[in-house]
Amino acid sequence: MLDVSDLVTAYGKIEALKGVSVHVEGGKITCLLGPNGAGKTTLMMTIAGILGPRRGSIKLAGTELVGLSPARIVSRGVALVPENRLVFPDMSVHENLLAGAYQRNDKREIASDIERMYARFPRLKERHDQLAGTLSGGEQQMLAVGRALMSRPSVLLMDEPSLGLAPIIVAEIFDIVAELNRDGTTIFLVEQNAHMALKVAHQFFLMEQGRITFQGTPGELAEDEVIQRAYLGTRRTDQAGEESGR
Amino acid sequence: MDPYLVSVLSNTGVISFVALSAYLLLLTGEVSFGQQAFFAIGAYAAGIATAMWGWPLALALVWSAAAGAGCAALIGIPTLRLHGVYFAIATLAFAEMVRILFELLRYRVEIDGQLVGPDGTDGFRDIRYIFDNNIEEFEFLVLIYAVLAIVLLGFMLLERSRLGVMFRMIGGDATLASLQGIAVARYKVLAAGIAGGLAAVGGGLYAHLTTYVEPRIFDVMLGVHTLAYGLIGGLGTALGPLLGVAIDIGLLESVRIFAGYRMIIFGGLVALLLIVRPRGLLDERAVHKIGQLLRRATRGTASMHDSTGAEGRTKGGLQ
Amino acid sequence: MIDLVQNTIDGIMIGSSYGLLALGFTVIFGVMRRLNLSYGPTIMVGAYFGTVLYLDYGAGLLAVAAAVVVGSVIAGIYVERLCFAPMKAGAGIASMVSSFAIWMQLEQAAILVLPRHTYPFPAIGGGAPIELGPFFARTDHLIMLASSLALAAAVQLLLYRTRYGLGLRAVIANPVAANLVGVNVKRSIMLAFAGASAIGGVAGFLVLAVDQQVTPMFGMWATLKGLIAMIIGGLGSIPGAVLGGLLLGIVEIHSQWQFGPQVRDLFAYFVLFTFLVARPGGLFGRVPEDGLSNRA
Repeated sequence: MLDVSDLVTAYGKIEALKGVSVHVEGGKITCLLGPNGAGKTTLMMTIAGILGPRRGSIKLAGTELVGLSPARIVSRGVALVPENRLVFPDMSVHENLLAGAYQRNDKREIASDIERMYARFPRLKERHDQLAGTLSGGEQQMLAVGRALMSRPSVLLMDEPSLGLAPIIVAEIFDIVAELNRDGTTIFLVEQNAHMALKVAHQFFLMEQGRITFQGTPGELAEDEVIQRAYLGTRRTDQAGEESGR
Repeated sequence: MDPYLVSVLSNTGVISFVALSAYLLLLTGEVSFGQQAFFAIGAYAAGIATAMWGWPLALALVWSAAAGAGCAALIGIPTLRLHGVYFAIATLAFAEMVRILFELLRYRVEIDGQLVGPDGTDGFRDIRYIFDNNIEEFEFLVLIYAVLAIVLLGFMLLERSRLGVMFRMIGGDATLASLQGIAVARYKVLAAGIAGGLAAVGGGLYAHLTTYVEPRIFDVMLGVHTLAYGLIGGLGTALGPLLGVAIDIGLLESVRIFAGYRMIIFGGLVALLLIVRPRGLLDERAVHKIGQLLRRATRGTASMHDSTGAEGRTKGGLQ
Repeated sequence: MIDLVQNTIDGIMIGSSYGLLALGFTVIFGVMRRLNLSYGPTIMVGAYFGTVLYLDYGAGLLAVAAAVVVGSVIAGIYVERLCFAPMKAGAGIASMVSSFAIWMQLEQAAILVLPRHTYPFPAIGGGAPIELGPFFARTDHLIMLASSLALAAAVQLLLYRTRYGLGLRAVIANPVAANLVGVNVKRSIMLAFAGASAIGGVAGFLVLAVDQQVTPMFGMWATLKGLIAMIIGGLGSIPGAVLGGLLLGIVEIHSQWQFGPQVRDLFAYFVLFTFLVARPGGLFGRVPEDGLSNRA
């Protein structure tokens, strides 16, 4: 469904992505795990078109996305729920959802989609008139997800949806992720919370320092090793041993 | 020396003070459209001191610097909480208020049967200290540049000092700086005071150079110009604003062919320059590269005196 | 007492044009978080365009008005393309100084085209002022007030009831998030600039028609008035811009009546300074968290 090949993205002279290849299968949940600074957000931003890669390609069902503006990429059916939510704080919940449907013209369908969001996220319905900036973290996360869904994407990208949220809310969010996938949405999810992510993922990738260091299904790698590498990166004791002159 | 050249160089020198004043504030991260207010305060203060109170020039300049610094520090306090555009507009408002106050200022004393002093919008005439003391235009030019040289020396020392580093840290990220324990407020007021004093000294020199000042000179245009000099010449070094002044006044003033189109060409060039060099010609990167080149050139001679060459070896091991 | 009310009425009339200038300013600032020092001068370009048509071709009132608006928009897009669009994030100061350089450029170009200090400008309305009891209101002032309020209401509607307005508000709130929901941010910004210039053009036309003359000082004057009114009303607020303008107009007329034109300007700047120090958000604006820094 979504094929990233040999992607290189750099900030000036610093390469954040050093040739990343990821295959996101249609209809499944794919997770990207890795420590801070590994380049996960950079990958998401590159796919969404906010950042431009130096080299490589991103194909959605065969069509190339590299070089397209973010707005075009949305119209092709890829929507990103960004890190830190980035809701529009001075707009109401309702307006935020409406903004998600910015490119759509079908007013009646948009209205019914919004009703569907309210059904899925009852707390948003309660606060539909409230300014998004006054919502709690968990509610903002749901709003960000709902907003992204309004463009009816075929691939939903999610960047660290559990960031800064209480465990109960995190569980709710992952329930929603699983539910969305059951309803047919392909999901590519970046997470630091490896434990929760592995519970829902069909396949996962491990990213460290701009490279993919592992890919497979949950269970192929012991969970505690995954968590270790997701938070801390690959263990370095072997390398240090060589240097000290063994 | 050709009197026209003396005049152009004198003007360049005097304006440099205000340019450096705006530059100092830019280092601490603040844009000021109002340094011309202290230029005005310095001009009037020094003029009043010599023409009306009979003070010697040196004392008058010290007094004008103090007046400028004092006013700047005072104004720096209520504007501490402002940043960015809000601060910039506040400085603009303040400077315009100062200018209008000078338009309303009427303070004259009788000296040798003549009324001398600031007269509202008609300005302040007869600041004739250099005539009364037989100071040649060229001598005054030397004085201007002597003071400027001292100021530049001060900036060079500042760049290498802890204070200079702290200013640049505040300019880079004030929140981060305060988290490091830097008393940001105190240093900002200090910077504001120094900047005010600088502009005021320039004003004092200016008043005596032209022997006549009027409030109309100290307008918004001057303020934005002085800011622009730093942005054009470069924010990486104190020589940057001077370069900006030199380019504007020096080059284009003396190239008469451009006369009617000067601003059209200059304005367009500045806009294009800022696209590729948003921090000016001598920006931090350029200064760093020049510094590297200079260090490499001097290291070429120094390595001959380097006895062991151990420095080279340890560097490799610490990779 | 009668003077007080009459002055207030006159202040409101003049203030309505300040409100329009503030409106254009606030749209640009809201979208870019950067100060456009060329705002007034671009309107002046439009004004000169209209003046040339009036003087050399005897154009009618509506044609002159259209010329002023079109000229302002063209100049505004020129400034946006040169001073704002190419600047990377964090180069806010460079944008400001660049817009200043273009201000100088436009002002000198204007003087080259029309070298005299002042030129006549067509008037709107005419005939005797309208009497409302013991008070007077000039017809051209009333036209200015009505047009300003109508235009401000139209902009408010555009921003809050259309999809384009929603997109623009999204850009103002968070350009990255706006990109992510499919808004073409670059195009929105350019269109906002053009719109702001058009609004400025209308304001400029009204002011000049009431004054019946145009001078090269108009550029800086328009920028300053718009700036002050915008701060008083609060950045990013449309009703704020209008109210800020009205308030400024009232303060100005009253202080001019009591103390003369210099104190009038002194008061205006004093009010501006006080608002900045005490309440930078103005009457209605919300102080944006990143709008305070130079990181724009």
